[in-house]
Order: sequence, then structure tokens, then C-alpha cells
Amino acid sequence: MPDYDAIVVGAGAAGTIVACLLAEAGKHVLLLERGRHLTNADVGRDHLRNQRLSLYGHNAGPDIEGNPRVATGLFGERYLVRPHEGGYQNNAACVGSGTLVYGGQAWRFMEEDFRMASLYGVPEGSSLADWPISYADLERYYERAEWEIGVCGDAESNRFQAPRKRGYPMPPVPPTRSGEVLARGAKTLGWNTFTPPLLINSVPYQGRPACVQCQHCVGFACPSNSKNGTQNTLLPRALATGLCTLQANAMAARVETDNRGNIFGISYFLEENGHIELVRATARFVVLSAGAIETARLLLLSSSRHHPNGLGNRYNLVGRNLQGHYYPGAFGLMEEPVYDGIGPGVSIATCQFNHHNPGIIGGGMLANEYIKLPIIFWKNALPPDLPRRGLENKRWMRENYRRTLHVMGPVHEIPSPQCRVTLDNEVRDRFGLPVARFEGIAHPETVKTAHFMWGCAREWLLASGAMKVWGPPPGYYLSAGQHQAGTCRMGHDPKTSVTDPWGRVHDFDNLLVVDGSLHVTNGGFNPVLTIMALAYRCGEYLARTF
Amino acid sequence: MHADTLFSQPHWRTLNALADTVIPEDDYPSATQADVGIYLQRLFSRELKSQLPIFCLCLQLLDEEAVLLYAKGFAELSLSEREELLSKLEKGENGTTWPMPPSHFLHRIYHLVAEGYYSDPGNGGNKNGLAWKMIGFEVTA
Repeated sequence: MPDYDAIVVGAGAAGTIVACLLAEAGKHVLLLERGRHLTNADVGRDHLRNQRLSLYGHNAGPDIEGNPRVATGLFGERYLVRPHEGGYQNNAACVGSGTLVYGGQAWRFMEEDFRMASLYGVPEGSSLADWPISYADLERYYERAEWEIGVCGDAESNRFQAPRKRGYPMPPVPPTRSGEVLARGAKTLGWNTFTPPLLINSVPYQGRPACVQCQHCVGFACPSNSKNGTQNTLLPRALATGLCTLQANAMAARVETDNRGNIFGISYFLEENGHIELVRATARFVVLSAGAIETARLLLLSSSRHHPNGLGNRYNLVGRNLQGHYYPGAFGLMEEPVYDGIGPGVSIATCQFNHHNPGIIGGGMLANEYIKLPIIFWKNALPPDLPRRGLENKRWMRENYRRTLHVMGPVHEIPSPQCRVTLDNEVRDRFGLPVARFEGIAHPETVKTAHFMWGCAREWLLASGAMKVWGPPPGYYLSAGQHQAGTCRMGHDPKTSVTDPWGRVHDFDNLLVVDGSLHVTNGGFNPVLTIMALAYRCGEYLARTF
Repeated sequence: MHADTLFSQPHWRTLNALADTVIPEDDYPSATQADVGIYLQRLFSRELKSQLPIFCLCLQLLDEEAVLLYAKGFAELSLSEREELLSKLEKGENGTTWPMPPSHFLHRIYHLVAEGYYSDPGNGGNKNGLAWKMIGFEVTA
């Protein structure tokens, strides 16, 4: 008898949902999380050590020491990066993962996002492809995520949204001054705008209070427990069944296969009171929800006699097509103050440019930015011609922190097989496991789209009355980060995909990937609601199969 | 400012004078008046400990540049003299040999001083949250 019906690796956006659905279906589940189970006090409000600005560390993991990765420079030079450094492509390591500290934008992808290759063709050098499922296949799971995790939004006003059967459970967050100014600007351009959907309680919901409109939303934990992550929604449900065991501080080391190559469990390092112990747990099913980088790494780390290149990697696809989101944007200086201090701050968006832009493949959503911490403002938002010292700089901060608008948005990236996660056997983490190594840079079509969206952001600001607009155009780099996706894409053909449309790794009946790794493309939107919807779909399916 | 054991007295004086050139006093405090010195001490005793020697070398070179140009140490210069010297160094018009272009060092310092001044008081600087009051960032919840 195996120890568990299923082991789920990663208590983030997807894994917690799968664990909950399985437990509620009567299955015994072990939910492993490499990070800690953090309280609000643990996360704190350090402006220099958070998921938005990690100069000297992170507030939600991973720890600086013992968790390196290897990045590759433009000329192939390799360098070691720690979690708080550029190029690490970090996502939070804690129970709830990024959903504990995110801004919670809750976008459904559009119908077009699932069939990019059919709509636009396949650019040379890219691995652009259609998803094996359509928006319609995912629609009811989007709805489930919106209602069970909790999304506030305006279901009527987005002229470009895909059809939806049901509205949001909560009304949108109230307008802000920046939103009103940008709405007027968009109107003069004939652009459609609306309040973006957020995984935040705009009114009391499911026993937790409404948002208190604080200034530390994105990058921090919620002071009023009004931001909806998996750690305060599906996790308590899972634990309430009595059938789900959450094990934090548990780093999966390998997926175990027997001498016939069949999967029977997981080995993981459990860290308790400073001691590290290697534990082996057996299960009928193994679900990897560790994020696009660590899920790929774990499949590659689990090579064996039967699977010498790693699990699911017969065609050398695991880890490829790594993508995230370019975030082109611009700043605008307004005559009057536009800052009103009302958090979370993001309050207006447009989907005018997600598709059907002449000469451009795809596009992206644009929105105003969350409330910006003063030091982040100083580092990222100052005009290039402003001196970085002296009274001129100080006075500019004093006069213009409240008069500066920031518009930006995620670009639907064109995947490249050269952008990938591999193992670096020369660099080990604190458990002795080879670390993730990154290779590749964005496909030129991604940069082209980003440049186009940069222009749209500038246009919006100018039309809204900005006296001056600035912000650098996009460059070339590897994009992954918190929106990491694509490394185990789903599909029908084992030669071009790693899993089937239900997240089952080709060649295996009992190994699944359920997280952003599955995304064939990553949409021009924050991906978390799609990750959640996929988790509902794959989790429901898995619960039915055994 | 009180003396500091991480930095020698001359380095510490130069660093403080430099910080107050980056953020001078007006009707809101200067960098050191807002305890940016405490922020820097904490940083150089922890996260930036290994970088202390190179920073000290650069502080000494900054002082030497001041002596070359004005026959006075950096901390003895007037604000406008300090600004004039920084402008020259930013443009690469240095009079002595540096381990890096002086502008690299200076921009690193500008960032560190801004971190102390504008980040949360829990990091040691931004005394009484006055920098936030100055720009209009209010924490309501």
C-alpha cells in the first residue's frame, strides 16, 4: 500500500488547488512545499527586501544562501545568481507561493490567446503553437476560480473579453484619481477601459473582510486578510478534510521510479529544527506544481536507467519554451497630483491592444501601476535627465511623487525553444542537488510587440495630459520571473509537448504537471487565474480517474 | 554624527559629507540628519561587509581629488564646491587613478543614500518617516 493516494509538490497557485480537490474527493494527499509557512509578521514591510524590490533579500523566500541558480549572459558567459539578484527568475518560496504576496490581477485569457499559431502563423525560430484546449474548455474553471478563491471585477465593461457565463462574485475596487485621469485620456483616444479584476475582497467575502486599501499590496502579505491566495482559501478547505497533510520546509529531491521505470513516489529533504533529513514517500499519483523552473528541474533531476534524460524528456522538450512577461511601460508627469494613496492602486486597464494590431503578433493588456513604494519610485521612475543627487533631485521627489503616472502591461511573448531551463551539474544547492541553469533570450517578435506596447503606454499618458513622458524602450533578455511558464507545454503529440491536455506527462499514467509549465503561450495578461483554472480542470479530472 | 567603528574617522567624515551632498538639507532633513548614516552602518556591517574595503578606498580617493582641486578635504568643502567636484568626477575628469570610473562609485552611493532616505524607517534611515511626509506617501493601514 502506498503512503498516499497522491503527492503534490508545491503549495502555490496550482498545487494547493489540486491537493484540495483530491482531498475533497476523499483522497489522501501529501502537499509538499519547499518554503516556510509564513505569518504576516514574517513577511513584514521591509521596503528593500520584498518581492517587488529584493536588493538585499526576500520577504517570502527563497533564502539568499543555499539556493543559487546559473544564468547565461548574451555571449554565453555563465554566472551564479542568488535569489534576490537579477536573472534569478524568482518566485516566492512559501506556503501559497506568489499568491501570498501578489497584486492579485485575475485575468482570463482571451479566445485568441489559445490559438496564436493559427491566428498569426509561426515566426521563424519560435515554437509558437496553439493550445490543445480552447477558451471554452477552460471557461467554467475560470468561473470556479473566480468564485471559490474570490475575484472582484467589472464583468460588463471590457469590450474585448471572452464570453463569460457568470459575473464576478464581488464588485470592482473603487476608482482612484489616477484611474479617472487615465479614463479621460483613453476616452479621447477612443479606447475602451474598465476596472481590472482582482483576487481581492472589495466587500466581505467567504468570512474575510473587505480590502482596507493599504499601500503595501503587491509584494507583501495582506494586513486585513482580504487578498485571496491559495493559502487562505483552498488550503484551509484541503486541511479541513483531514485527508491532506501539508509539509512545509520540504524540498523535493526526485520523483522515484521503480526498476521497471514506473513512478511510485517522491524523495524530499525535510528541514526541521536545523536538521535535514531525506524522506521517501510513496503514492499512486505524483503531481508537480513547483512552477515552470522548479518543475522542469525536478523532472530533469529524476533521471534513471529507464529515463536517462529525465522524466518526460524523451524528445528533449522539458525546460524549453521558458517564458514570462515583458512589461513595457512609461511614466508621465501630470500638472496636478494624481496620487490619492488608495490601495492597491491598480484601477484601470485596457485590452484594446491584446490582438489585431497591424504587423504585430499578439499584444498585451495595459494598466496603471500599483502604489509605488517611495524607494522603488526613486530607483525606477525618475526621468533620465534628472540629476540623481542634490536639491534638484530632492525637490523633484517632493513635487512629483504624487504627480507621476505609470502605465504598463504584460506582453504575450512568442516562445523560443532556445529559452530554457537545464541542470548545472557544477553548481549545487544546499541539499547537493544540481541547480537550474538558464539559457536563451527573448524572441525578436516578443521585443517587437513590447516596443509596440511601449508606444501605446506613452500615447495613453500623453492623451491623459502628461506634460512629459519617459521610460526606456524594451531591450533583449531572458524573460521568466514571477510569471514563468511554458517549460512542460501541454499538447497531443509527445514529439512537440511534454504532457497531454490534462497535464499527464506523456509515457506515464500517474505523473502530472499542473502549473504554469503547461502554458503553451502565456497570454498578454498576468497568468495566475489561468494557472488556477488549469489546476481546477486537471485536478477535477485526476480526482475522477482513481 | 557619531563616529563609527567600521569606517576610520576620515572615511566616515567623507562619507557623511558625501551623503549630505546627495541629499542636502532644506526645510526637510539632509541625509545624515535623517539617519542615513545608521542605515549605511547597518548595511556595511551586514550585507555589504565584503564591499567595505573598496568603498573605503574610493572615499579616500574622493578626498584626494578634493585636495588636488581645492587643497582641502572633501568634508571641508562648501556644498557648491562638493557639487562641482562630483560633476567633474561624474564626467570622468578625475585627477588620480580610480579602481573604477568614479561615476560608478558615485552612482552606487547615490542609490545607497536614497535607500536610507526613502525606504522604511525600520532600515535605520528615514527618521520619523519625514521623507515620506515630504513626498506625500502616507501609510494608512
